[in-house]
Amino acid sequence: MIEIRDLHKRFGDTEVLKGINASIEQGEVVCLIGASGSGKSTLLRCVNGLESYEAGEILVEGMHVDRNDRSIRDVRLAVSMVFQRFNLFPNRTVIENVIEGPVYVKGETRADATDYGMSLLERIGIADKANVYPSSLSGGQQQRVAIARSLAMRPKMILFDEPTSALDPELVGDVLTAMRSLADDGMTMFVVTHEISFAREVADRVLFMDRGLIVEEGTAEKMLSAPEHERTRDFLQRVLKPL
Amino acid sequence: MEDIITNAQAFLPILLQGAKITIGLTVCALILSTLLGLLLAIMRYSRITPLVWISITFINVIRGIPILVQLFYIYFVLPQFGLEITAFQAGAIGLGIAYSCYMAENFRAGLEAIDPGQIEAAQSIAMPWSLMMRRVVLPQAIRTVLPPYGNTMIMLLKDTSQASVITVAEITFQGKLIATSTFENTTVYSLVAMLYLCLSIPLIILAFILERRFGKR
Repeated sequence: MIEIRDLHKRFGDTEVLKGINASIEQGEVVCLIGASGSGKSTLLRCVNGLESYEAGEILVEGMHVDRNDRSIRDVRLAVSMVFQRFNLFPNRTVIENVIEGPVYVKGETRADATDYGMSLLERIGIADKANVYPSSLSGGQQQRVAIARSLAMRPKMILFDEPTSALDPELVGDVLTAMRSLADDGMTMFVVTHEISFAREVADRVLFMDRGLIVEEGTAEKMLSAPEHERTRDFLQRVLKPL
Repeated sequence: MEDIITNAQAFLPILLQGAKITIGLTVCALILSTLLGLLLAIMRYSRITPLVWISITFINVIRGIPILVQLFYIYFVLPQFGLEITAFQAGAIGLGIAYSCYMAENFRAGLEAIDPGQIEAAQSIAMPWSLMMRRVVLPQAIRTVLPPYGNTMIMLLKDTSQASVITVAEITFQGKLIATSTFENTTVYSLVAMLYLCLSIPLIILAFILERRFGKR
């Protein structure tokens, strides 16, 4: 579904991606872990063209990802995104946020989009908030609305950019539960996360990134219990036992 | 005292004629400056290099020339190139263009205040640029822009008085005519000042209503 080949990206003088190779199959849940500044979010953002890249190639369902080309629309219709800071539209209600894309981008009727949108909100347990504005929701609720908004586009895959990092600890669980239920339904997911327990339980594969390179990858079980690479061991040690 | 009241009764109808012109001029220049200002701000925001440069150059050239000189230019110089326009048209176009620069800078401030996350959210649901501007960016920019916009509207109303120098028969022009023929300077200019004050009140209310309508959420 996604092919990343020898991807290079720099911000000014700093090379943040130094030749990334990775692929994600249909139905797979892949977690991308690594220290901050290792390039995880940048890699994720390259996949749907929020960032450009200098060299290498990304293919989404065979489509070349180029943020300056008309075809980026089809890429983004196939690959939806959930952000660390939710990025809901503050001037629209919850349901309006959810149907914005289906109605204005995909041309669905308001009635159809609202029906489907409400079913999504019900599924993630915030249908009762459909007509309030995002500012009156908790971070966890906002993030679940953001997940519903991306699902409403009926994407083939969803990118998650540290979806729980901006949440208070007691709100993380609800969002992870919503994500797990997506995974159980067979949604293809590419998740940048610091939630090692989520990766262990839900991910089919885990990629570990360090200083712009994917250092190690493997099944969640193998990567998290018996990492081969020293830097992976180091990182996990620090994340799991910070004291 | 009686004299003043009698004089005021005699002058007021003439000045009210002028007030109609002032209102017409304000409305026309407001519409022109808003549309042109929005266009300039969007060009600047587009990050398309030639458009950005056209916008920056236009704004800085126009902003650097006094409104009075611009009005003279449009009314007296353009006819020499075969462009005949009435004083009112020259006033509306001149003020509209002059004010488009202030409007553009107001709008730019609003556009640049948009959280980049909003743009990314719009992009992530495959919105093309024009739809993103219409559905996400502009509706949110309005909130930031309205207070300075209200301010600029009132400045524009007062600056229509400058059109008196190119013979637009608005309030100040009429006042000057009456004052030079009657020497009742105190009465005339007090009335003129009060009329401007009265005209600015609806604008203040309009700005207030707009802020309420599009205000904070």
